[in-house]
Amino acid sequence: MKLRAVREGLLLIALACLPAIGEGIYFRDKISWQSSIPASELVTVDQARAWGDGAIWVDARPDEEFARDHVPGAFSLNEDRWNELLPQFLPNWSPEKKVVVYCSAESCNAARDVAKRLRDDAQLRDVFVLQGGWEGWVKKNR
Amino acid sequence: MTKSFIWRIVDVIVGGIFIYAGVIKMLDPVQFANDIDNYKTLPWFFSVRLAFYLPWLEIFCGLAVIFRFLYRGGLSILMALIALFIAATIAARARGLDITCGCFGHASQHWSFPQHMAVDIAIFVGLIALWCSSRAQARSQL
Repeated sequence: MKLRAVREGLLLIALACLPAIGEGIYFRDKISWQSSIPASELVTVDQARAWGDGAIWVDARPDEEFARDHVPGAFSLNEDRWNELLPQFLPNWSPEKKVVVYCSAESCNAARDVAKRLRDDAQLRDVFVLQGGWEGWVKKNR
Repeated sequence: MTKSFIWRIVDVIVGGIFIYAGVIKMLDPVQFANDIDNYKTLPWFFSVRLAFYLPWLEIFCGLAVIFRFLYRGGLSILMALIALFIAATIAARARGLDITCGCFGHASQHWSFPQHMAVDIAIFVGLIALWCSSRAQARSQL
């Protein structure tokens, strides 16, 4: 019985590969395969700084981390207090400005999620995620 | 007769849950890849590939359970998947990660940790019961 279960399981595992590969081919241009954030949505610290006043900085970290320190001029906008902070942020945005969102480090997902919500919910264009996050910023500004 | 009819109903319910969960995730692989990534267990390279594969595996195993074709293989894989998911959720919780599993699309987006656990354990128990019943049936046919 156990051998039969293993045999059947392996067959199912193999069968599921076929539509998965097909779907992967269908989505090949719609998903980033190497990084959770497509390269076109990432910006380095140097690039973002070069934008100067054309950039508007968004800190996606929790309130206490923002209170401790943040990029000068950055607005706090995290998912915990999204409904409260978004209306405070939006009047500072204008169509010609590029939005740079960052969280703690390269590995955090908050910046990606906030950037996605800014694009999808708030319908903003030119929203980028800072490569390396806050850690990256600190390293470049030591 | 009545007993086997009840087990068939359990088959359809448990199989149907996995088909539903699989279809929801299959329709939005990008979101599911982000959900896997939120567990911070696997690199994105694997998360994104699993996001294309796991929904189809769930659908095929769910169909196997409903139609009783490759039945034990389907049950074994689903038990392994749900056990793995329970372990990953507990581990994520222990590491203080606030995760959205996305298992049932928007329906599960705001479930609390105990709600997730209760649903997963109920499904796991259902799968074990089906496995035991299938063993008992196989023995009685000998």
